[in-house]
Amino acid sequence: MKNKLIVCCFLLVAFILLNGFQPKDKATQALEQVKQQFQNGMSTVVTSIEALEQVAINFQNTPYDIEVLQQAIINTRLDYKKIEYFHAYFDEESILQSINGAPIPKLEKYIPEVVTIQPSGLQVLDEIIFSDDPFQQKEEIIELVKKLKTNYQDVQRYQSAIKITHRHVFESIRQGFIRVFTLGLTGFDTPGSVNAIAEAKASLQGAYEAYKAYTPLVTEKSVGLAIVLDAHIESTLKYLNDHQDFETFDRLHFLKKFLDPQYQLFYELHKELSVEFTEEVNDLPTAVNYHSTSIFAADFLNAGYYANMDMSDPLMDDRIELGRLLFFDPILSSNNERACASCHQPEKAFTDGLVKSTATDFKGTVKRNSPTLVNSVYSDKYFWDLRENRLDKQMLHVIKNKHEFNTDYIQIIDKLKQSSVYDSLFMEAYPTLKNYTLSTHTISNALAAYVTSLTDFNSPFDQYVRGEIATIDPSVIRGFNLFMGKAVCGTCHFAPVFNGTVPPFYKESESEVLAVPMANDTINVMPDTDLGRHANQLPTDKADIYKHSFKTVTVRNAALTAPYMHNGVYNTLEEVVDFYNRGGGAGMGWKLAHQTLPFDNLELTTDEQADIVAFLESLTGDMSTFTVPDRLPIFENKPEWNDRVIGGQY
Amino acid sequence: MTKRNVLFFALILLCIGANAQTIFNEEISMPEGFVPEEIVLPPSPLTTQVLFVGGTDMVQTTATYGNAAGETPAKEWHDFIGFTPDETNESLGWISINHERITADDMIGDGGGMTVFKVARANDGTLEILDQTLEDGRSGQFFNVDFVNTVGETGMNCGGISSGVDGRIWTAEEWFRTSNASINGSATEEYPNGSGVRDTADFVVSSDIAGWNGRTLEKYENFNYMVEIDPREAKAIRKQYNWGRQPFEGGAIAPDNRIVYLGPDSTPGFFGMFVANTPGDFTKGTLFAYKHDKPGWKWVPIWEDGSMLAHSDFAVAKGATMFNRIEWVALDPADNFVYFTATGRDNPGSRWADEDEDGAVHNPNSMARAQAQGVSSPNDADYTDYYGRIWKYDPRTSECTVLLEGGPFFADSPAEADYPEKHLSNPDGLSIMQIDGQSFLVIQEDLNGTTNGRVPAGVSNRTCELYLLNLSIENPTIDDLIRLTAVPRGAEVTGSIQTPDGNTLLVNVQHPSSDNPFPYNHSLTFAIHGFNTIDLDEETFNNPFAFNIAEDTAVDESKEEFSVYPNPTTRTIFMNQATDVALFDANGKRVLVQRNVTQIDVSRLAKGTYYIQNAAGTVKKLIVQ
Repeated sequence: MKNKLIVCCFLLVAFILLNGFQPKDKATQALEQVKQQFQNGMSTVVTSIEALEQVAINFQNTPYDIEVLQQAIINTRLDYKKIEYFHAYFDEESILQSINGAPIPKLEKYIPEVVTIQPSGLQVLDEIIFSDDPFQQKEEIIELVKKLKTNYQDVQRYQSAIKITHRHVFESIRQGFIRVFTLGLTGFDTPGSVNAIAEAKASLQGAYEAYKAYTPLVTEKSVGLAIVLDAHIESTLKYLNDHQDFETFDRLHFLKKFLDPQYQLFYELHKELSVEFTEEVNDLPTAVNYHSTSIFAADFLNAGYYANMDMSDPLMDDRIELGRLLFFDPILSSNNERACASCHQPEKAFTDGLVKSTATDFKGTVKRNSPTLVNSVYSDKYFWDLRENRLDKQMLHVIKNKHEFNTDYIQIIDKLKQSSVYDSLFMEAYPTLKNYTLSTHTISNALAAYVTSLTDFNSPFDQYVRGEIATIDPSVIRGFNLFMGKAVCGTCHFAPVFNGTVPPFYKESESEVLAVPMANDTINVMPDTDLGRHANQLPTDKADIYKHSFKTVTVRNAALTAPYMHNGVYNTLEEVVDFYNRGGGAGMGWKLAHQTLPFDNLELTTDEQADIVAFLESLTGDMSTFTVPDRLPIFENKPEWNDRVIGGQY
Repeated sequence: MTKRNVLFFALILLCIGANAQTIFNEEISMPEGFVPEEIVLPPSPLTTQVLFVGGTDMVQTTATYGNAAGETPAKEWHDFIGFTPDETNESLGWISINHERITADDMIGDGGGMTVFKVARANDGTLEILDQTLEDGRSGQFFNVDFVNTVGETGMNCGGISSGVDGRIWTAEEWFRTSNASINGSATEEYPNGSGVRDTADFVVSSDIAGWNGRTLEKYENFNYMVEIDPREAKAIRKQYNWGRQPFEGGAIAPDNRIVYLGPDSTPGFFGMFVANTPGDFTKGTLFAYKHDKPGWKWVPIWEDGSMLAHSDFAVAKGATMFNRIEWVALDPADNFVYFTATGRDNPGSRWADEDEDGAVHNPNSMARAQAQGVSSPNDADYTDYYGRIWKYDPRTSECTVLLEGGPFFADSPAEADYPEKHLSNPDGLSIMQIDGQSFLVIQEDLNGTTNGRVPAGVSNRTCELYLLNLSIENPTIDDLIRLTAVPRGAEVTGSIQTPDGNTLLVNVQHPSSDNPFPYNHSLTFAIHGFNTIDLDEETFNNPFAFNIAEDTAVDESKEEFSVYPNPTTRTIFMNQATDVALFDANGKRVLVQRNVTQIDVSRLAKGTYYIQNAAGTVKKLIVQ
């Protein structure tokens, strides 16, 4: 205590800075209002769930008017949507587990056994209540509603205690815009009612209400910004009032005209108010780059987050360049004939055009189709069967595979050490690693750095969304709207990468059970025997729900990556779209227990299918930016190695 | 001057508004000539040193599956860490590392695995990894422990036992196996005969444990034991068939060298004890399961024929007490108290309802929690256990009590201004360390999820912390935890153990998922040196390890002036008020904002000059050294 007093005695009188503060009263008032809105919103949801419960009980007792039950779930969902942006921002995992997760079984995480959890929550209720015969499932409905009530009150109890800060408000609102675009307007959220447009409106109204609390402060700081925002809000809500039909809603127009500009405006607002950003509070990297101002910007997602790399490291360029040499160098394989580029060729968006890639010594093929590497970094799991969760460890599978490189890191290191050029390149790229300069780590890190650099968001479609080109073929616009709406592609191939990495956090990659057949034949369907994720050697994935489950890969650059699917069964995009239109394997008579693709025929017309293909083709980037090295490092004492072919012989 | 007075009054007015949230300017600019009080954060007395990097450092292997002895990259997924003191004093001793996973490997052997190496204290205080030549002819620094040619493959080597008596080491085989298919793994292109344990032929036991030699087991039945190894020669000694076949995670040996406490990771998990007939000879003795409601001594023997292979069934039949996923077990040599983590499971209801029906009993903590949650019993589907807890076992009374409940339970714990700096979820790894003669628990989180405040609001990354807890604190709470910041971001700290000379804590981390620079982006073993410099009697704010630290850092609102106290060891700035606070760099750019806190973690700040400003506008200069 004595020491403490002495320290205090030395303290200087507090000095008040002349320009230290914003007008605090308005800021604090705004935040108090938002907190109140959130509390009130939660109470409203509880009331609606209780009303839903009562209706469900009535429904159980007598054959009851189904429309009353339908209206009750619609109301509950609308009330929930108004504050979902807060709920999911604060505790996404709880929301996905028990409040508004997808209506498919999931596995319990972080336990040393495989346990499947049946889905529950608002999406499941939406699906059942709007199914053909909800009366059949009347008991399940009431059980689900009761469970929802318990779980929601749990969420309410915890989230009522959260210390909300200004930053949370703006971050959650902007995240809400992503959710509306990717999960709301696509119908992902509303598998039964397809009440997507009304729900999108409710979501935005909730966010706007929070913004309105800040209006006095914003007006004081920047009248111009306040006026622009008000005008945007008014016209957005008007548009949603005027366009309520799910199938004809112009999502591209809505994105370009309303959502994406507001994604930027709310960033400007956050900055204008001098509210701290996430990196000032904790330094953990995030998948979404908060400072990006467009959902279709090249920097919308942090590639480094997925690759566990600091892309701002000044040595990153050297590492990428070294990785590029290694990628095209067949010296990595046991016979000096195979390179990464053997199966991943730049002009084909880093695929090889084969049904399945050729195996070593041309003896047959490897197990699956070569997937594109462009934008492949945006994932938390790699390979068709999702067996590797780190990009820099992906290479090890290729190196050890007898049909691919058929070697090991020790042999590779031994070889690379014999080239003074490689030696010095490793030294330049990893100058501080001492005895790890040329090691398992640096080889895999350089290759991973190169793959991380293989990103492209500069297709005609991207340019059109960002307003860099003024027009695009109307078929592309129609195709995009189908993709994100009626054809329900966008509910698994999530924008903007159009892969299975789930928005709005973009942290987890999904796999789907499509029941892709062995052969391209819709009449005599031959079941494919590949168990996919179920057989990926991870004990945590050894679940029935993962039988025949495969990674949802990006459809960007699909025009360059034929043939398609994990087994390369389809040669054209038209065939792929036809497969989905038929309802996948189930639609063609191959019934798998856990098919996650809707079984129903999508009833897409021939023209609509052609439009979807046109949209996919508009996602083709410029592959000429990914260049092949002019030459590979020489090996001074191994002249026979210096004849090796750039990119390999396969 | 007048301006300043006006602002002073404004400040007083502002302070009246409760819960005000200050918006700090993005840049600080100070009037010319203003000299803020200077606070110095000295360099940390703790330093770190990397010892062993998974997947990158090479291990020496024995001849295995017909392949010659050789060298290959070590397995990863570091978990348990054990230490075996060198009684000859020629070196410090041997470090043993678990690799948690089942993978096929032609050189190392299939299944999980272990790596051992020998260290000496160098003159500069760091650890030096010694070259060794083993009896089997292998030479090098890192050695793969040979299981294949000794006791058979192991799997999912999670926790283990590092005997405080003599440094004997056991590795624990977690993740209970129920079929050969479950150990074999799927066929892959690299491993067409299975990517796990490829040899699934019946296993003939060779063992010095009575009744086991020559027994034929289905291959999977040779998994899920505590397995003793010899770290000096890098080979396995025996699987402890007589401790039962269980999904083991942790254990501890009592100083009498007869009692072994055992922790299985399952729901239900039965706290176990093996008592050897002769000290140090664990091949003969009796196995017990804990039963809290048994009158008198609260242990029931599990000794029936067949009970070793079906341990759980017999524990249930005997009415043993059910815990929710027991992980590590630690024993404090100062008083022989035993601590174990029950890491918890969000909705355990369906996992132990059957066992409850068949005779096993719920522990009183679960029953009380169920009641508090308004559900009928812990079997209820709505019963939740998000955070887990640490239990304490008193060997004199054979009573188990909860030492520390995890959580943020905002209503009562932690103190509002302590969150998120202090919270505890899903404690897993556990060890005891001595600092200046005082026992501390070293607690490692392994989150079962990110829900319900297990990570701070607005953070979605899974973050696992390493905490110290002074064991002299009676009825400790989460507010008493001391966070050790010297671990890589995004990593799960899986194991820790102190060196016998006290100066170093050896730490294992698993799959760090952040953008840390090499090697902190790999599974690795590293050392934190410098604990001998800590003096617990030094009663200053600089000493977070002091007895009464919680009181010392308590918020003192009575003091009007803003005071800050930097702590070099934990890299923390303590403040005398709960306040919003911003940190600006030397150029005046805002780099850090925290709200309503009494301490800020500055462990990631580069050396240099900073300015710290509280909600009232008071500025101090902070020199980070």
